[in-house]
Amino acid sequence: MDNDEVLRLEGVAKVYGEGSAALEVLHGIDILVTSGEFVGIVGASGSGKTTLMNIVGCLDRPTRGSYALNGEDVSRLDDDKLSLVRNRAIGFVFQSFNLIQQMTVLENVELPLFYSHTPKRERHERCRALIEAVGLSHRPGHYPTQLSGGECQRVAIARALVNEPALLLTDEPTGNLDSKNGEEVLKIFHDLHAEGRTILMVTHNPEIAQGLPRIIEMRDGEVRSDPGPGSGRLVAEALA
Amino acid sequence: MILGRMLEVFVLGVRNLLRNKLRSFLTMLGMIFGVASVIAMLSVGAGARHEILSRIQELGVRNVILNSVKPPEQIKPETTETQWKNKYGLTFEDADYIEAVLPTVERMLRVNKIRQRLWYGSKRLEASVLGVEPEYLEMFGLKAGRGRVFNELDARKKAKVCVIRRGLVRQLETVEDPLGMWLDIGDFPFQVIGILEDEAFRSHTRKALNIDAAAQEVYIPYSTSMRTLGTTTFIERSGSQEFTEVDLDQIVVTTRHQDEVLRTSQMLHAALGRLHDDVDYEVVVPLELLQQSEQTQKVFNLVMILIASISLLVGGIGIANIMLATITERTKEIGIRRALGARRRDIVIQFLTETTAIAAIGGLFGCLFGVLGILGIVQLTNWTAMIAPEYVLISLVISCSVGILFGIFPARRAAYMDPITALRYE
Ligand SMILES: Nc1ncnc2c1ncn2[C@@H]1O[C@H](COP(=O)(O)OP(=O)(O)OP(=O)(O)O)[C@@H](O)[C@H]1O
Ligand SMILES: [Mg+2]
Repeated sequence: MDNDEVLRLEGVAKVYGEGSAALEVLHGIDILVTSGEFVGIVGASGSGKTTLMNIVGCLDRPTRGSYALNGEDVSRLDDDKLSLVRNRAIGFVFQSFNLIQQMTVLENVELPLFYSHTPKRERHERCRALIEAVGLSHRPGHYPTQLSGGECQRVAIARALVNEPALLLTDEPTGNLDSKNGEEVLKIFHDLHAEGRTILMVTHNPEIAQGLPRIIEMRDGEVRSDPGPGSGRLVAEALA
Repeated sequence: MILGRMLEVFVLGVRNLLRNKLRSFLTMLGMIFGVASVIAMLSVGAGARHEILSRIQELGVRNVILNSVKPPEQIKPETTETQWKNKYGLTFEDADYIEAVLPTVERMLRVNKIRQRLWYGSKRLEASVLGVEPEYLEMFGLKAGRGRVFNELDARKKAKVCVIRRGLVRQLETVEDPLGMWLDIGDFPFQVIGILEDEAFRSHTRKALNIDAAAQEVYIPYSTSMRTLGTTTFIERSGSQEFTEVDLDQIVVTTRHQDEVLRTSQMLHAALGRLHDDVDYEVVVPLELLQQSEQTQKVFNLVMILIASISLLVGGIGIANIMLATITERTKEIGIRRALGARRRDIVIQFLTETTAIAAIGGLFGCLFGVLGILGIVQLTNWTAMIAPEYVLISLVISCSVGILFGIFPARRAAYMDPITALRYE
């Protein structure tokens, strides 16, 4: 086993429904992602990208096959343990931001730390630092409705990073943004990659996909093409 | 740390409730009424209990009161004689026996009571003349408003002195101050040395002490009454003359300790049963009044519990109903929290905190309204009510329990949502 391995899917299948209504959406997916890779996932609508991301993000369990995160099999964990894995090892950035409207920027970013029982003082420090890092230090007390889409997505990124997750997952993070804001958000992801983070990003945008070092193409619930593990690291790093 | 976290969850819950103030308030209404009725009824119950206790206090917790009662009318002997003598009730032998034999008795007071005609100048009145020992006056709270009550010295001298009720003064219809004046009781002149402070005994006390409500009481020393008035009452009715002889109209037995009251009353029953052929006496145990009242209280409590349960049930259902609506509205938030690592139990705690907070706040308002309501009722009626500081605690315990009980179902429903579906919800 590769010591750098972050995520290993072996024969992962997902079936929705039961009996005659059963619909197999993923048919035996094998993917290995190592630490520091920036992986794009592309494919036609309905090809199963979101389904795959849900399994990788521990929001859902595979019907068949196994999924190991950081070397630990998480495909058969119960709900409580999965929640713990989501909290400690996964950072989500959603297309529609998914900030809680009634909470301030700071409170939204703090939320994962609240569920990891981090003391309040430490929470504040870490959140303030992250909010500053995404360039929103002037508005920690604002509510999401008072922010632009780009700002919201930056808050969401800060929230995804606050628990130092092993894996950053994002499904169309620029889908709801104009091109300028989209570029800005994309740049943040590239910077994070440069810092050595492992990122999985679903995208429909071929232009964005082109800029990513490793692209997995899906079709009808199967992996159609994948340059293979390790190819998603920074070129400089790959050479070294 | 734990406490800080609980506080944080609580503050979050309250914030969520404040987001929709009107709705939160309406949700609280059921709770407010429920707890208010509990508090109102508790205070009325406590008031009733207090009332009973004060009655018992008045009659003496350690006392057993024996009264002579006329046995069911005996068939008069077929005689043409116009004079007929009748004897019943407690005897001197009874008193001596009790004093000598009963180990639990600390003190015994004899009472001689005679219905007598009273003359004040030319004014005639019917009065109940009670020959009592000085301690009796003290025991039943008979205090002189003006003048003085008689004492040991008067008793030893068999002084012809009396203490009268204020009501009697009115009935005398005199302009003179009756204090220090002379009243003729039977054929003997008695000096009025004191006028009692209170107008009359309260009805239950009068009943327990077997005092005629129609006639005003006049108290004279027991020793004087034995010497001057004797034990025979003379009644003239429709041509025939009737003499009734009662040795002692009343014996007040004081036990050494409250715990001995019931045993003493049993012993008295047994002793009197042996000494008397007829049941021409009654045994009044003030302490038993408490037990009787507790029995009535039980019925009252049952009704109270029923009413309160219904209000609280309605309040609880209201909370559950609103919470279910809230949870549907906040599906997305639940999905987000779950994605960020909230366990099911974190979601349960979050919503239970909200239901409990809303119930508790409602409960406190209910407590307040209950107290205000009962104060209003006390003002308008002659009820007695008692308000205790622990009502706040009781209200909180009740309302929090209801909040938790009725919050569990909505909270679990929130916690068991599929996070993916919840996240997609718009
Ligand atoms: N909960 C579900 N129950 C039944 N079928 C589902 C469910 N979720 C997804 N599907 C089906 O699974 C297939 C894959 O859906 P998925 O959302 O993964 O596609 P996608 O690649 O993310 O598409 P898009 O690019 O449009 O987001 C679709 O045919 C969809 O209808
Ligand atoms: Mg999708």
